[in-house]
Amino acid sequence: MILKVLMAQLFSRPVTNRFPAKYMPRSVTGFLAKVGQGKAKLVPPVPVPKGFRGKLAYDRETCIGCQLCIRVCPASVIMFKPETKKIRIHVARCTFCGQCVDVCPVDALAMTEEFLLAAYDRFDPSLIVE
Amino acid sequence: MIVQMIWQSAAVVLGGLLLGLVYKGLDRKLAARMQGRIGPPLRQPFLDVRKLMVKENVVPRDAVPWLFHAAPILALVAAATVLLYLPLGGLAPVLTGRGDLILVLYLLAVPAVAMALGGFAAGTPFSAVGAQREIVMMMSYEFPLAVVVVGIVWRTATLGHSPAFSLAVVSGTPLWSLVGPLGVLGLALLLLCLLVVTPAELSKIPFDIPEAETEIAGGLLVEYSGVNLALFYLADALKTVAMGALVVALFIPYGLAGVFGLEGLVAGIVDVAFFLVKVFAVVFASVTVVRVAMARLKVDQVARGFWIPITTAALAGLVLLILDKAVVG
Amino acid sequence: MEETRTTFEIPVGPVHPALKENIRFTFRVEGERILGVDVKPGFVHRGIEYMGMRRNLIQVLYLSERICGICSISHPIVLVQAVEQAAGIEVPPRAQYIRVIVSELERLHSHLLWAGVAAHELGFDTLLHLSWKVREAVMDILEELTGNRVDYAIPIYGGVRRDISPEQMPKVSEMIRYYRGLFEELSDTFLRDPSVEARTRNVGVLEPEEAHELLAVGPTARASGLRKDVRQDWPYLVYGDMDVRALTPEDHGLEVRGDVFDKIVVRLLEVAQSLDLIERCMEEMPDGEITSFPKLPALLAHLKKAEGEGIGRHEAPRGEVIHYVRLEAGQEGPSVWKVKAPTYSNLMPWVPMFEDQEIADIPIIAASIDPCMCCMDRVHVVRSGRPEEWTKQELLRRSWEKTRRLCG
Ligand code: SF4
Ligand code: SF4
Repeated sequence: MILKVLMAQLFSRPVTNRFPAKYMPRSVTGFLAKVGQGKAKLVPPVPVPKGFRGKLAYDRETCIGCQLCIRVCPASVIMFKPETKKIRIHVARCTFCGQCVDVCPVDALAMTEEFLLAAYDRFDPSLIVE
Repeated sequence: MIVQMIWQSAAVVLGGLLLGLVYKGLDRKLAARMQGRIGPPLRQPFLDVRKLMVKENVVPRDAVPWLFHAAPILALVAAATVLLYLPLGGLAPVLTGRGDLILVLYLLAVPAVAMALGGFAAGTPFSAVGAQREIVMMMSYEFPLAVVVVGIVWRTATLGHSPAFSLAVVSGTPLWSLVGPLGVLGLALLLLCLLVVTPAELSKIPFDIPEAETEIAGGLLVEYSGVNLALFYLADALKTVAMGALVVALFIPYGLAGVFGLEGLVAGIVDVAFFLVKVFAVVFASVTVVRVAMARLKVDQVARGFWIPITTAALAGLVLLILDKAVVG
Repeated sequence: MEETRTTFEIPVGPVHPALKENIRFTFRVEGERILGVDVKPGFVHRGIEYMGMRRNLIQVLYLSERICGICSISHPIVLVQAVEQAAGIEVPPRAQYIRVIVSELERLHSHLLWAGVAAHELGFDTLLHLSWKVREAVMDILEELTGNRVDYAIPIYGGVRRDISPEQMPKVSEMIRYYRGLFEELSDTFLRDPSVEARTRNVGVLEPEEAHELLAVGPTARASGLRKDVRQDWPYLVYGDMDVRALTPEDHGLEVRGDVFDKIVVRLLEVAQSLDLIERCMEEMPDGEITSFPKLPALLAHLKKAEGEGIGRHEAPRGEVIHYVRLEAGQEGPSVWKVKAPTYSNLMPWVPMFEDQEIADIPIIAASIDPCMCCMDRVHVVRSGRPEEWTKQELLRRSWEKTRRLCG
């Protein structure tokens, strides 16, 4: 029986999604640069469903500075900026629980579908939302 | 003459290494595909060896250093020597002689002994367990292997070919068409036994017991690193080719050139290519497919399995060949 | 067992390929035979309870989710039960159904994950890749329903955070159909494969009496024939209406032997059982609210006022998990939080299971209880930088002391 499975799989496409490329590129950043120039093709990741909990999006204009999000955040991701009465989110620490989104009284926070968040520095601009 | 032989030997060994690594790459790739994975690129074994070659050689504190370092070299040299005795397609073996088949049998056992020695020399519990297991494994599969070889050789000799135990003679005499129906059945049994012995000889699942990654973390190889590990890896690659070539020489020594009436260089190329395909087929059937289709067995299960069913099958094959001789003559 | 010169000790762990997490076994072996074993946990203690007692309850919820990467719904579900009991919070029926659905989905993925790991321990990587391939279907459904593959963030005190929408229902049904169609193939590859049987039959046997005395839980106990399941014995949520029965190999028409093979059988049966439960929940789920506190600040205020203690228990994929919580008025976090993960109860059964087996059996026996070390490591004593060991007497004395202190 197992032989049947083996032979069937031998002649079909592997299940693995080849993201970002079939084999690990020698340098990921170099590869991404090439993709940017259109010299290489990126295999897209598996699509995420609706309601996926990804990187936070923050609408500064709507925020009223109530600090409720800071109170519920389990990972101390969110900092209050007293001068402007707004917040700063350090995504590098975020656990993507979505509790801040639930608690915000004016819906200033939302979760996006972005999940490729790796960076070399935890204070990288891509990892700070404010 | 001597110089030429050295050149030839070097060429065969290098070619064998190349081939062994390619077969390893193919094996990994096809195994991955059978498991629904992409698998590593074909040249991965080459990359592995290159990486190992530049890595540090770590010697454990309780090891016997000279033995620890000698074991991988011994394994590689023995595996390389086997190759020199084997007929590789249309090419005659570099070294030949009376009784070379027996020598091949012994030489095939040497890498395993070397690994066991290395395992004991490393002086750590996991490597010692691995080495013990290797010894038990050898005691289990060597006898059926010997029976298979003796069967073939004896039947060839009864057909009036000599010298006996010469690989060149055996592989020059395709037995399948020369024996009667009983003999064919016997040969089939012997072939089956040899195909079962092959993964055991090469320490592949279900017989990778001496290394057993999840149990003893690599067993007799656990302390090896860097160049030493690379040497074992290369020895394994050579052994893969050698085992494949042995099965081919004993059971499928047919060439294509004769069939198509080719001559000269073309004939040589066609035969060597065909030989490579045959070796690949043997390796694929008895190593790659088997290792993805089974769980690892335990050492006592393997010992029992080889001693009773496999040995019985091999002996039955031998008896059939003897009966065949009595009938056909 | 007499000691001979051929007896030697082999250490397995704290880091070893057979172990997915850190624990230390010291085996006394003679040749390949195991004479005895000493198990030493405590390498992956993270002090989660201590952290929890310094946070507010909503934060603790997500901390509890991270006690275990696989039981990431079981721990929160138990915690909310305990807190709801302590604070007197009602849970709307629909929320209860959703909790059950997600926990059964978790059991599904956890058992498939285990099947893969067990196959890998046996050196049968094809089955590993096969079971993890089919596991993707349930992972996709979990992601669809909760927004994440691993940390579901579904329960909240008083209900759940996400509803299951009518559009999602057909996707779940399709997953159920997919697994039902696959069930034959799976049980065929696992239960009728000669090499798997050779490696698991009569290996790591746990006799029913031993299982009973050593308080084994979950599939480990059920594979030894004990009909023991929190969902059956102390029904909670809506499990009481679902007639859950603890499954043993007998339900597959097999004689109970308590070996590793039986543990595979039980887990396979539970996969089918979870599918049935999910289907039934989806059919019977009433409409209505999904939480009794739609406004979180109100919940926080209620929890701050609450005073009392509560115990939650749940049948996680590996067995019973218990949380104890004590709340004090005016305090945002729990004043006591105690977690007991299933592996804790299944540690002692390891000892008889390993006895008289072979070295080759170590990985599969260790894996057979589906251990989860970091969930289970609740204490680690370090004094002046060195780990310290306490005897049973010492531990007993200390826990008596603590109970007295708690009772005031
Ligand atoms: S998603 Fe969770 S962890 Fe991330 S910022 Fe919001 S509350 Fe904090
Ligand atoms: S909860 Fe919403 S409004 Fe309040 S501080 Fe956070 S983002 Fe701003």
